[in-house]
Amino acid sequence: MDLFFQILVNGILAGGIFAVVALGFSLVWGIMNIINLAHGSFLMLGAYVAYALFANYHVDPFLSIPVAFIVMFVFGYLVQKYIINFVVRAPILTTFLLTFGLSLLLINAALLVFHGDIKGIATSYSGANFSLGAVVVPWVKLWTLVAALVITALMQLFLTGTKTGRAIRATSMDIGAAQLSGVRVAHLYAIVFGLGSGLAGAAGVLVSLSYSLQPSMGEPFLIKAFVVCVLGGLGSVQGALVGGVLYGILEAFGSQYIGTGLQDAVALVVLLIVLIVRPTGIMGKATA
Amino acid sequence: MASTSTVKVLQKVGMGGITGNRYAIYVSCAVLAVLLVVPSLHNGYIENLMRGVLMFATLSLGWNLIGGYTGYVSFGNVVFFGVGATTSAVLWQHFQQQNILLAIVVAAFVAALMALVLGFPILRLKGHYFGIATLGIALATQEIIANIDWLGGGSVTSIRQVDFFSSYYYAMWAICALSLGATWFIARSKFGYALVAIRENEEAAAILGVDATKYKVFAWMISAMMAAAAGAVFAGANGSIDSPTAFAVDNNVFPIVMAILGGVGTVAGPLVGAFVLTAINETLWSRFPEIHTLFFGAVIVIVVLFLPRGILWLFAVRGGFRGFVNSLKAYRV
Amino acid sequence: MIHRRLPALGALALIGALALPALPTAALADDNTIVFGAALAATGRDAREGVLTKEGYDFWKDYINAHGGIKVGGKTYKVDIKYADDETNPQTAARLIEKFIAQDHVNFILGPYGSAASASAASVVERLKVPMVEGNGSAEKIFSQGFKYTFAVLSPARRYLEGIIELALHEKVKPKTVAVVSANDAFSIEVAQGASEYAAAHGLKVVYDNKYPATTTDVSGVVSAIKAANPDLILNGGHLQDALLLQKGFKEQNVNAKAFGYSVGPDTPDFRKTLGKDADYVYGGTQWSPTAKYKGAAGFITDSKVYAAEFEKKYGHVPDYHNAESSATCMAFQYAIQKAGSLDPQKVRDALASLDVLTFYGILKFDSRGINVYKPMAVNQIQKGELKTVWPTGVQNAKPMYPTPDWSKR
Repeated sequence: MDLFFQILVNGILAGGIFAVVALGFSLVWGIMNIINLAHGSFLMLGAYVAYALFANYHVDPFLSIPVAFIVMFVFGYLVQKYIINFVVRAPILTTFLLTFGLSLLLINAALLVFHGDIKGIATSYSGANFSLGAVVVPWVKLWTLVAALVITALMQLFLTGTKTGRAIRATSMDIGAAQLSGVRVAHLYAIVFGLGSGLAGAAGVLVSLSYSLQPSMGEPFLIKAFVVCVLGGLGSVQGALVGGVLYGILEAFGSQYIGTGLQDAVALVVLLIVLIVRPTGIMGKATA
Repeated sequence: MASTSTVKVLQKVGMGGITGNRYAIYVSCAVLAVLLVVPSLHNGYIENLMRGVLMFATLSLGWNLIGGYTGYVSFGNVVFFGVGATTSAVLWQHFQQQNILLAIVVAAFVAALMALVLGFPILRLKGHYFGIATLGIALATQEIIANIDWLGGGSVTSIRQVDFFSSYYYAMWAICALSLGATWFIARSKFGYALVAIRENEEAAAILGVDATKYKVFAWMISAMMAAAAGAVFAGANGSIDSPTAFAVDNNVFPIVMAILGGVGTVAGPLVGAFVLTAINETLWSRFPEIHTLFFGAVIVIVVLFLPRGILWLFAVRGGFRGFVNSLKAYRV
Repeated sequence: MIHRRLPALGALALIGALALPALPTAALADDNTIVFGAALAATGRDAREGVLTKEGYDFWKDYINAHGGIKVGGKTYKVDIKYADDETNPQTAARLIEKFIAQDHVNFILGPYGSAASASAASVVERLKVPMVEGNGSAEKIFSQGFKYTFAVLSPARRYLEGIIELALHEKVKPKTVAVVSANDAFSIEVAQGASEYAAAHGLKVVYDNKYPATTTDVSGVVSAIKAANPDLILNGGHLQDALLLQKGFKEQNVNAKAFGYSVGPDTPDFRKTLGKDADYVYGGTQWSPTAKYKGAAGFITDSKVYAAEFEKKYGHVPDYHNAESSATCMAFQYAIQKAGSLDPQKVRDALASLDVLTFYGILKFDSRGINVYKPMAVNQIQKGELKTVWPTGVQNAKPMYPTPDWSKR
């Protein structure tokens, strides 16, 4: 029974990261209909921001989260404004191909700059833990989850509580009407992509606390983002959180009770069942 | 099959099947014919390279049938390639069969069966959700195969190669030619019109008497057979297979990229895309050995910005350079 | 009329320009140079290991050329190595090797990095009858087909962790139970199988034996399960990234054992840098260590200490076993070519098959399958941030710090 609770805790703690990774991906996809294959490489860049700050100025990674967010926001804003906006109305496959090219470019540029060797952030508190009965909770993972919750809450506040946020949601529902009421779509799209990329950057910092840095580190997370954002419902903030934690738990239990080697397969099969039974995701709107 | 009258209605409302530019098809056939002489050059590198082009063209043609013509964008067609490659390996490991034709037939059969069983629930999903479901199937299948030792598990499985090595080349050539021919035939048939009708407006097509589910599943089965056949030949030609190689991300993404580059939903687009992308990749690779992948990414970005709908689309643009620029503007915000 | 078709013509011109076959590179093979071809990952997952392999190859090449070259039947040859990036993709590796042989006319092939790429490469050289020696693909499965042209200088995968078990059995507090966990790929599976079988044969009870996906990003479940099994020894067959995840996980969940052992990881500087003091006490199986005491044959650096020093002078870091086994790969060719007295592929292959020479790296001798089963492995341990060789006793430069103290007492 101890093992059961430990696995449950492991799953929930892992889910926080998945949620933040998926959140940005889901926003960009849900609002602009762009499947951003460069999301994983944005995550990698965010992780390197945290690493650079830590290695050079001993900045605690948790304090780097806003920095990585801002750096990646600006980066994403420019990418959308000066590259993606030129083809954003073409069929979804066009931007799919574009972001694929972008991801190749970024990963290999990172390989040139940072080289292929594996880097890691070893904080003084890495590995520290406390016990709840027989269940051990690592502090880093707990704080990662807390950070994920805070980021998600802030994102939700922004989208519902600010003028820009409301304009974004309006645009995702009806781009024509939004334009008529004076929304500058090009600018707004750039903001959305900036947010998506900023969230990827923040997720990268969280990832760097438990996973090691390498130019291609973002790829496995990209695939998880795909799955999580559909589990939760495209474009939905709460959905990404629920989907992320659910994915974490599924992966943990699947690996424990069905087969360690089937870690991902179990979660994916559940995804297929969810899709077939409820094609718009658990938290998605009833109509697609 | 949709009745003849239904097809006529579909054509009238502009939902007829398309084959794309006629000349592109002629050129593709000519190129394929030329490729038949490659083995007689006795240059292993060129043979290997061209076998790769044919393999990717086949995968791309397969993807194009479901993703391009039917409009069901699959992100996991590599699953059929992987299953085909695994079939080859199992045939050698457990039945001592190295016969290429047998491998192709069994692989295609297994893949078609899989597409049939999975197709009914999965092809009900719309748009993105279908894409994600296929991605999920591909990843899950890879992991499941990697956990079944009889299928090779996570390890490398060797396959005894046939004595006349160019057999693999000719086999890949035949599969590619067959896929191109099948696509051309389908695009002009009632079946093809039905697929395009489903893509343009599934509900309307259904009202006009198109049994959408049946057509979609059938299209996916054909698509699966193309990919599986290519996988079966690849495994033999490579001499060994492991699940990360069989289900490689490259084998999943490149065919889509090639179809987009050539022209989605056209007969010759995938072949054109496969040639152009391979040519770009090989050129960059030999000129800039250190940073070719970076340049490759940059080239893709540039190509997309100027050819957002693929190369064959250029032939459809009217009005010279100005027409070209105007058409680009339509995609901006 | 013409200008309406302009874009299309432009596109055709563009395609034409791009499709022009890459200009043939100037033939390297002149009469006085032996040319090797090597497809190594410069991009993709194994980019890092690709660099380590290249350093090992280049170090040998520069040494040989600086010392006059290789004498073959009265004539002295310089050596050169032609590299290309296989993108960590076995498909590409096979194609590149075809290119080396068909277009660049290289004399011999040096192996790529990794078991899957080595397997693809082995099929190609077998068909073209050009010998290949490899030092970075130790899965025995590669050799299950009776290949005659592929030789591996490294000890097979199943031997990687045996030394750690043997070492622990020689200590006062003998281990009784062992947990074995591995990534699900050719190399790691064989490592784990070898360890399990060895442990069982020596009276240890295997209380946990499992695989995780090779691309995993989270092993906390595995860590929890191992903790529940409470083993004396924890052994991992895997790669650097998962070794790091596991070691972090063991600390995070307070998993204590008498020894933690990894097949890949502790040897690389990245492991120590990333984990800091949490890397202490960790054992790693290694193909070679700078403290190895073999007295090598003439023709190349004969002594491990000298090799390590010279290497560090050149590349700025202490060589790890990837570097050394890569240099050894080249040395196998060097001695075989000299023995054959010819550059004829068939004769060199035969010379490789009957090679029996001692080098700084250890013995180079192949069994009928082409595997170097004759070379023992060593065990390294990280002690206060430094890599020490602790087993076998003949080559150790430090005593093993055993058992590993609990996390709370570090």
